[in-house]
Amino acid sequence: MQNQLLIAKNISKTFDNVVRALDGVTIDVRRNEVLSVVGENGAGKSTLMKILVGVYQPDSGELYYEGEKIPFPKNPMEALERGISIVYQERGVIPHLKVYQFLFLGLEGKFTRLGRLQLEKIIGIAKSVFDELGVKCDLGSYMYELPLSTQKMVEIARAILSIRLAVGDSEASKITPIIILDEPTAPLSIEERDEFFQYILNLKKNNSFIFVSHIIPEVMKFSDRIYVLRDGKLVAYHDLSTEKVTEDQLFREIVGRVSYYELYSVHEYGKAEAENRPIILSVQNLTKKGYYSNITFGVREGECVGLFGPAGCGKSEIAKTLYGEISADSGKIIVDGKEVKIKSEPHVRLRVGIGYFSGETGKELFLYWPIRKNISIVNFEKIVRKPFKIASVISFKAEKELADRMIKKLRIRAPSVETECYSLSGGNKQKVSVGKWLEKSPKILILEDPTIGIDVGAREDIYEVLLEMKKKGVAMILVSDDPKEYAILCDKIILLREGTIQKVYDNGEFRRVMEL
Amino acid sequence: MKEVRITSEWAKRNLNTIIPLAGLILLLTSLRIANPYFLASWDSVITLVYGMSFFMIAACGLTLVILMGSFDFSVPSVLKLSAMIFAVLYPSLGFLSIPAALAVSLVFGFVNGLLLARFNIPSFMATLATSMVAEGMAQVISGGYTRMITDPAFRAISTTMIAGLPSIFYWSIAIWLISIFITMATPYGRAIYAIGGNLVGARLAGINIRLVRISVFMICSLFAGVSGILYASQIQGAHMQVGVLDMIPLFASVVVGGTALTGGVGGVHRTLLGVLIIRWLDSGLSMIAIDLNIRMIVFGLIAIIMAILTIDRRRIKIMK
Repeated sequence: MQNQLLIAKNISKTFDNVVRALDGVTIDVRRNEVLSVVGENGAGKSTLMKILVGVYQPDSGELYYEGEKIPFPKNPMEALERGISIVYQERGVIPHLKVYQFLFLGLEGKFTRLGRLQLEKIIGIAKSVFDELGVKCDLGSYMYELPLSTQKMVEIARAILSIRLAVGDSEASKITPIIILDEPTAPLSIEERDEFFQYILNLKKNNSFIFVSHIIPEVMKFSDRIYVLRDGKLVAYHDLSTEKVTEDQLFREIVGRVSYYELYSVHEYGKAEAENRPIILSVQNLTKKGYYSNITFGVREGECVGLFGPAGCGKSEIAKTLYGEISADSGKIIVDGKEVKIKSEPHVRLRVGIGYFSGETGKELFLYWPIRKNISIVNFEKIVRKPFKIASVISFKAEKELADRMIKKLRIRAPSVETECYSLSGGNKQKVSVGKWLEKSPKILILEDPTIGIDVGAREDIYEVLLEMKKKGVAMILVSDDPKEYAILCDKIILLREGTIQKVYDNGEFRRVMEL
Repeated sequence: MKEVRITSEWAKRNLNTIIPLAGLILLLTSLRIANPYFLASWDSVITLVYGMSFFMIAACGLTLVILMGSFDFSVPSVLKLSAMIFAVLYPSLGFLSIPAALAVSLVFGFVNGLLLARFNIPSFMATLATSMVAEGMAQVISGGYTRMITDPAFRAISTTMIAGLPSIFYWSIAIWLISIFITMATPYGRAIYAIGGNLVGARLAGINIRLVRISVFMICSLFAGVSGILYASQIQGAHMQVGVLDMIPLFASVVVGGTALTGGVGGVHRTLLGVLIIRWLDSGLSMIAIDLNIRMIVFGLIAIIMAILTIDRRRIKIMK
């Protein structure tokens, strides 16, 4: 087929002679398409991509470029010469560089004369590249000033530019660049994602994209073909131009189990209200200029309220106000009948019973501490003795027992409580950080993107823990980007727009409105 | 039971324990070879104990600050100021000058902590500035003169012999043990490590960052003050040269012990080893008649090398 650009055949890769990361995987990349490679964390997606760009060498396998057998690239430079480039998930941009400086970062060598950077030439090229690719931004502004979606686009423009510079001007017009996008939408909000994908679709006519992701709706919406990896093997392949695939089907192929969403469709939503349980958190006329105004709502014991809306609607600012990260201008926050100061610090809020759980393990965990210490950090009152009345002394035995219990309960896969958290997988890290809150069981727990960055299978476990806490009577407030998360966790969903409350749905209504 | 095997992996993980221990043994043997009188008599042991005890107390405080990911340049200056206040006020106030000296030290610690915790000034900068203030104050209250105190009671605090060793040794060991206890076995100690290890995480876990930061700087300055008082008692007075060249050796002994400058890694228990190495090296080198300036070069190099070796490489990304 003349349409075929790159074929990677029977690729296998083993790490440390034990971990079989890839097992005879074959994929082909065609001209001018968006090809998705999906799978859970650890399915082998990243390994495969790193082989394509020359970061890893495969143990076995063959590579064909336009039907002709070629060696695997030995380093990213060789991959660039073949027209393959990658935009990493986390590498990110350097905020304090100007757009054109970032665009040419590391490529300046080709544009110096007598050691001096040819600024006019660089800016000229940058302009023409941006015009051609349709990136709309001021070249002289700093990267941090751009919206996240535009930052990503600049990164893609940079990837295309590096390929052109690597293959040379004469060749550049002949080849079709292959751009690998590793979880590109992770930091973007819903609108930004749409904008981003419009951009990718525009670029499709001259480029091919390999899109690595685990966000199923996006994959369904924007790709031409889908490869599903599980445990290093290719388990499914769909050509969306010739067949129809449902989200659930794709989900099942990715995790190899039933949908977590189905599991929770029978959960008792609205129970807290029906039983008329006491209102534990009441927010009245909370206002912060420029972010949100006149926010009033209440949360009952054992109830989860979702703050839902597009990015910039004020939902995360409200959450941050509640746990004390930022302060409101006016309004009241009443916890358990007692008013708390609206200007406050997280440690004061925790004392009155407001905890905060974020899915970002980098924020939440002490990665170089053992599991034991990570669990006890908010639970000291359970493991200290007071032999001298004033001084609290940690009982290491109690601490170890606490962590042991949590490891067993949450089925954390780790050799012992002394295992340092950085060596755990993403899902297990998340379990450790949710575990400490499960043990703590504060009156109110604020959840901000509780499952961000972890794969679908591990999410199930986190939801189970959170729902269990809810049953125990912990009140929760959810802020997230994923509507399904609201449908699973929340009894009530508050719709926000531009900082004001628009509407309040119960769970059933919300599912109907979102067509879930 | 888990079998402990000596493998390259094990060695790598315990690098920051192995290096100081090996260094200490190497140091002792080579000093002994170079000078047969080194540690040959009990008197020379006592000399060494005098050399390291006051130093140890100040190093314990500095370790706490470094564990928290901050730094305190003002330790030697506060030490000097406290020694000076003690010596200057002793003739009129007697032992009441001790609380006066400690109170001033605590104020310095409070200001250091406040500058960092409230005004977000990097501790390197804040403490460098306050150390200048302390230097100036010491100069002003002493008029630049050496203050000699001949009262035997004054000397007794540090030099009373108990079981063959001077009392200053027991003071320093007591402070060392207290520091170990605080860092290892209390939630407060955990908070110090937490702030050094992951500031955002510590905040979200409900740790009162401001309070911990200010109090740790106060403990550090308090220890510096205690060290100054005991040192003044040991040398029968105070003079402007006290602590002048101590900053680099102090810092060197903390990092040689294996506490990483990045914070969150290491511990006060390790600092004893670092202090032993640095002080024995110091006195050993001077016994084989190596000039003070050369010794300073050696300490500077050791500090750099150990900082490179012990820095937490896993977190190198976030270093600036």
